[in-house]
Parts: sequence; C-alpha cells; structure tokens
Amino acid sequence: MSHDAHGSHTAHADHESHDTHHVNYLAIFGILCVCTALSVIFDVIHLNKALTILLVLSVAVTKALCVMMFFMHLKFEGNWKFVLLAPTTILAIGLPLALYPDVGASYYTQTAPQVTNWADEISAYQAEQAKHGEHAESAETPAPAHAE
Amino acid sequence: MSHTAKPTALKMGIPIPNSKLGLWLFLGTEIMFFTAFIGSYIVLRLGSRGWPTDPHDTHINVFAGGVNTFVLIVSSYLVVVAHEAMAQRRFAKARTYLLGTLILAFLFLGIKSVEYYGKISHDILPGHIAETSSQAIRKASRELEVVVRNRFAEYTDSGAVSTDRPNDIVNLVVQIAALPSATAPEGVSESTFKALQESAPADAELYSKWMNLHQHIVAEASLTVPATGPEYLAAREKLKAGEKLPALEYSEVESLLSELKSDEKYGAYVASGVFDMHPLVYGNIFASMYFLMTGFHAIHVIVGMILFAVVLKEGSKLNETWTDFVENSGLYWHFVDLVWIFLFPLLYII
Repeated sequence: MSHDAHGSHTAHADHESHDTHHVNYLAIFGILCVCTALSVIFDVIHLNKALTILLVLSVAVTKALCVMMFFMHLKFEGNWKFVLLAPTTILAIGLPLALYPDVGASYYTQTAPQVTNWADEISAYQAEQAKHGEHAESAETPAPAHAE
Repeated sequence: MSHTAKPTALKMGIPIPNSKLGLWLFLGTEIMFFTAFIGSYIVLRLGSRGWPTDPHDTHINVFAGGVNTFVLIVSSYLVVVAHEAMAQRRFAKARTYLLGTLILAFLFLGIKSVEYYGKISHDILPGHIAETSSQAIRKASRELEVVVRNRFAEYTDSGAVSTDRPNDIVNLVVQIAALPSATAPEGVSESTFKALQESAPADAELYSKWMNLHQHIVAEASLTVPATGPEYLAAREKLKAGEKLPALEYSEVESLLSELKSDEKYGAYVASGVFDMHPLVYGNIFASMYFLMTGFHAIHVIVGMILFAVVLKEGSKLNETWTDFVENSGLYWHFVDLVWIFLFPLLYII
C-alpha cells in the first residue's frame, strides 16, 4: 500500500491542474432527467407543432450544453476547445444550408411504382428504350404513373 | 518528476495529454459524421410534405425513446463519477460505476432492439413501404403470391407433384387441383400424401383468389366487375368513348385481405405472409433515415461497451495508469449520449 500512497501523491499532483474544480454531478444529472421528462411531456400534451419543435429543441440544446460543459469538462478546458470545435461546428451548420436549395425543395415523387426486382426491371427498361430508339416515330409516350 | 509552475518556453502544444487531444480531434470528426446524417435528415424532411409522424404509422414509441434517453443519461453520469473515482484512486468504486455503465448500455440496446422488432414486424423497412394506395395494392398482391408459392412448394418439395418447371404456377395449380383423385407417386409416404390431398382444395382456392386479384390489378378494374374472359370483353364493349370500367379501390382490396386472413383453411398462412396494407407517403425515406441514424448510433454504443469492457477486464488490477483511458472513453461516451440527446427529439417527437 505504501507504493499506492506514493503514487497517489504524484497522480493527484498531475491531475491537479484540471481536476480542482468541483462540479455537483448529481445536480447536473437531475437537470438532465427533468429535461428528458419535459421533452416527453411536450410531446404528449399535443401543443401546436411549431411550439413543440421550439420547446423540445431548446430542451435538447440545454441538455447538450449541460453534458458538454460539465460532464465533458469543456467549461474548465483552455481555449484550445474553440480551435478544435469551431471548424467542425461551422462545417456541420454549413452542410444543411448547402443542401437545402437542391434537396430541401420537394425532391422525389412517390407515385412511380415500387421497384421490386431492380436488375430485371432495368434491363426491361433498357430494352424498351432501345426499341423506342429504332422506331422513334411510332414510339408511344410512356403511360403516366397511377396518380391517386 | 519536477514541478515547474509554468511551462518552459520550449514546451509546445496544448496542456492536455496527447491521448485526450487525439480523442477530441476524433470527436471533431464524429461531430461532422453525425451532423451529415442529421443535416440530411432535416433537409430531406423539409423537402417532403406529408412526412410520416403519426406513431400509429411509423411505430415510433416516444416512451421507449424517452426511457432510452434516461438510460443513457444515467450511464453518462456513472462514467463521470467513475472517472472522478479513478482520479481519487478509488478503483473498486470506479469499477462498480463502469460495470453499471456497461449494463445500462446493454439495456439501451435491448430497448432499441424491441423498437427495431416493432418496425420489422410491420415491414417498416427502407424500400419495403408502399407510398400510395396503388403501390399498397400491388405490394399486398406480391405478398399473397409468395404465400401461394410457399404453399405450392410443399407439394413439389415432398414429391407429391412433380414438375420440371417449379416456377410455372399455372401448371402447378392444375396438378394440385387434381391431387385428391390421384394416387401417391413412388417415394411419397402415404400419410404425407393424404395430408396434402386434404389441403389441396384450399390451396387451389387460395391460388384462384390471388389470381383474381392479380388479374384485376392488371386490368385496373374493380373487384365488382370481371377482369378476364368473355364477360370482361363484353363489359368493355359496352363502354362508351372515354368511359372506363370502375377502378380497383384500396378499400376493396383491404376487405378482401381481411376476409382471406380470417378464412379458417388458409387464413393463418395469409395472415403471416401478408402485412397490413398501409400506404405511407415518404415512408421509405423515413425508414432509411431512422435506421441509418439509430443504427450508426447503436454501433457507437457497441464501441463504447468494448472500451468499458477493456477497463473492466483489468479487474482488481485496475490502477492509475488507466485514469486517462477512463477519461477518454468517458468523453466518447458523453458524445454518444449527446448524439442521442438530439436524435430523440428529432426522430421521436418532432
């Protein structure tokens, strides 16, 4: 045990630089539990859609901040955290913004029949296309999909 | 080891262990990995009017998701106190906390698999979902065909019906319909043949029910009018220009299926092989996103479990050399929790 006691001193000294802060983890845990319960309650009581979205996302951001600041100790870390996390955060926000103009507008129609046997269907389609290419004048327009 | 109050001018880098810096860089890439999915999900959802949100359609269970959120939060808390115990050199305590985390991770995956089973048992799978009524009708007919073919396979597999073209279903049904008055071929036991003779009329009837539906789908005609033969041609003759036979309605097929499923002879086969008809607009992209995001999250949970198992494997030999490892796997675990904190409202509530 004497070895342990010696080790304890050095280990403690090593960690002192970033372990001196005292966080009441139980309190943070309590906040996280209350927030989770709030999310479920907001869903169950059926508020209007926009308000629900606003509330549950605010709760999620609160929870995320609690976890990052206290459980992940980011509150007590040096400024390197900004250097490390700012670029990824900016790119992460940029991605949906960049995709929105192309994909965020209605992007596919569900009225086409389901593809169940892709290989057969694509070769049948290609054969059909080849036939249409030969007899361009007599080609029929493809039958419209069954709209509901 | 000397204790210098300030790093010397030659000391480079950040005042954290290399392993922790590496872990944080990794978490930086992880943030982009998950926001690629979450961002695509948000964008796809904004572009899809009528995205399925009704839990009755999607089989999303907000309580299962809520309980899983709670499970992950408790496990995150246990990791934090485990690291604290490691720093205080209370290794036995740390092991207990980490064991608790591991058990909660198992619980999380258990609840997740119950949820997955709920989706799979309703065929809420990418590419499987009918998005319109006509797709739903075709899907039901395809599933009914598989039921019929599986029934017919019993006759061909046992040798009671011999054919060199097992896919020629018309050839099969003729032979099966004639089975009750036939004699057992060589090599087929008397009792097997007798049982098949008894089930043959029901299976032939099921075939005719499916074929009738199939023909009405091809003819795009309501089940109330004939879809083949002279009657069909006569009915079409009578149509004036621009007129059409009454169209096949979703509700007709739905009631036909419930009738088939409650039949005492073949109802059980139909019920187990044909899913409830349920057109779900954007259901496929919903299922893709759901399984992609929760699936990759579950893989991360499994990786975290491996990390904790590695620490627990040390048993009573756990010592201060593992403190950084526990801190880093804890950071990773909090990140897994963090992802779920956003997935839960995005997938289960909004």
